Amino acid sequence: MVSLTEPFEGLFGNRRRLAVAIIGLLALAVIPFSTTAYVTDLVFTGLVFVVLGVSWNLVAGYAGQVSLGHHAFFGLGAFVSAWLTTPARAGLPEAIQSPALVAVAGGTLAAGLLALVLGPILFRLTGHYFAIGTLAVAAIIQLVLLDQRRFSGGSTGYYVQNNLSEPTVFLLMLAATVGVVLVTYAIVNSRSGLGMRAIHDDEDAASSLGVNPLRYKLLAFAVASAMAGLAGGFYAQFSLYVNPDSTLGVTWMVDTLVVVVLGGMGTMAGPLLGAGLFLTLDTVLRETAGEFATTIEGALIIIFVIFVPGGLYKLITNRSGGDESRETEGEAAAERAE
Amino acid sequence: MVATDLLVQSLLNGLLLGGIYAVAALGLSLVFGIMDIVNLAHGHMLMVGAYVAIVLFTALGLTPIVGMVVAFAVLFVLGMALQRFVLEPVVGEGMEQPIIVLFGLALMLQSIGRIVVGSDAQATDIGIPGEAITIGAATLSFPRVVTFVLSIVLILGTWAFLKYTTTGLAIRATAQNSSAAQYMGIDTDNIYVLTLGIGTGLAGAAGALLSMLFPITPFVGWSYLLKAFAVVVLGGVGSVAGTLVGGLILGVSENVGVLYLGGGFRDIISFSIFVLVLLVRPHGLFGSSGGGE
Repeated sequence: MVSLTEPFEGLFGNRRRLAVAIIGLLALAVIPFSTTAYVTDLVFTGLVFVVLGVSWNLVAGYAGQVSLGHHAFFGLGAFVSAWLTTPARAGLPEAIQSPALVAVAGGTLAAGLLALVLGPILFRLTGHYFAIGTLAVAAIIQLVLLDQRRFSGGSTGYYVQNNLSEPTVFLLMLAATVGVVLVTYAIVNSRSGLGMRAIHDDEDAASSLGVNPLRYKLLAFAVASAMAGLAGGFYAQFSLYVNPDSTLGVTWMVDTLVVVVLGGMGTMAGPLLGAGLFLTLDTVLRETAGEFATTIEGALIIIFVIFVPGGLYKLITNRSGGDESRETEGEAAAERAE
Repeated sequence: MVATDLLVQSLLNGLLLGGIYAVAALGLSLVFGIMDIVNLAHGHMLMVGAYVAIVLFTALGLTPIVGMVVAFAVLFVLGMALQRFVLEPVVGEGMEQPIIVLFGLALMLQSIGRIVVGSDAQATDIGIPGEAITIGAATLSFPRVVTFVLSIVLILGTWAFLKYTTTGLAIRATAQNSSAAQYMGIDTDNIYVLTLGIGTGLAGAAGALLSMLFPITPFVGWSYLLKAFAVVVLGGVGSVAGTLVGGLILGVSENVGVLYLGGGFRDIISFSIFVLVLLVRPHGLFGSSGGGE
């Protein structure tokens, strides 16, 4: 059991794990300087997957609210960050032009705020209705932006500019990813995390015991959405291009789902493992299976839910046995280092 | 200001379109009401049904009406297999599992569709000559009238099946209380298999009908899923009559809304109606809280 007063104790309690994590991070940090642009791109996408997976897992895996609108917050973060560094192209006043970091912060904030506004409304819905409601809200956001060509560039999209070099954006994203993992870990192992799990297991029971479901759901939703916005903000500054079809598209939701389902829902290491596996799989599949890659990914989701319900996390911990969380956290760091 | 003629025209076209929306939603509504499963792949199954009709028309020259029957049959079988081999093992594990599985299936259908037929929009042709029908200042195109009539036939057929056949009675009994139905000797597993078959079969038929009016691409799945769900919350889960009313409301709101707001707003209108109704009356405008009729 992890201590509630020292949320990071479990994470850094093990020296070997800490060492693996540091080595893994260092290995990731030199990637933009030591490899090709292709590999850098790939690993950057992997970091985006980690942030999306870890944050969605907070809402769905821990608080039990299966949101299907996570991609909207990612896309919003991307667009706000794009507007703030390159306002003229969206017909916005030059005065709001900001450095890339401020722009990413703006995207993060916008996504978090939108979640705080939408949260109380959406959480009037439960279960299936919540899932499909979030899917609809995300679709509305995408359609409105697609219709407002001035702000989104319509279907042709919108080019972004900033004053940062590609390796700098990469390193900032790496730092952000570490931050997201640590913050999520702290939340999950705090009182709030317990509240979320109580809601997940039985909302009515939790409510009757004095847990305020809305408070914890809203916390998970707002934090996770801000994190998705953060990933989107950096994605826009890294790819230097946003487009309502792809940036706000349901594809990001699919990727998030694959990452979490492959890795293991409701576990801290799951999304990290899932992001590593998915990145490898996606890269291999795109080269070998070509256009069938997406079909196979869809099939994998189904196969994993039916045959490997706990995801990779459970598969590994079942085999190795022993102290589960410690072992897999190390594995996760190793996976990310690859 | 929009001219009155144009408004009447949109209104009537909306009503005719609403019939298809009702068929598209009926399968989703039955499966949700009877099995408590939201078929996230419903829109993508509709897309598959549309392509069945398109392929039969372009390759063999068969009328879309035959296409509709075949689309129903194909999706009926697919739905039964889906329930038996994919959903049955994960039901009861929690709410997330079926949702995620069906999301994965939707993804598969969309990408297979893109590989098989490409990304270009395609349509069928009604294949039956006919005059436009004039009512006052409004003219109703022949395909729209035919698809509406077929929609009504499908809806009445489903209603009569549930109401007057023994199997229909067993389905309703299972929806009301599955364990009691089991004690009465009903094989509820088979009932669920059949229900999903009917639900997805109706999605296929709706797709075939839509292919007569609108171009279809492999990417229309999500849009039609949300439209169908909008009809379900408008009409109340599991209610056949409610679904018809919900479909008509959605068809009219979309068509009249587009008149004032522009074509880019078609989907925004229906999704917004959906979210609004969901928030005001989570069990639908005409729905009770339970499943069944």
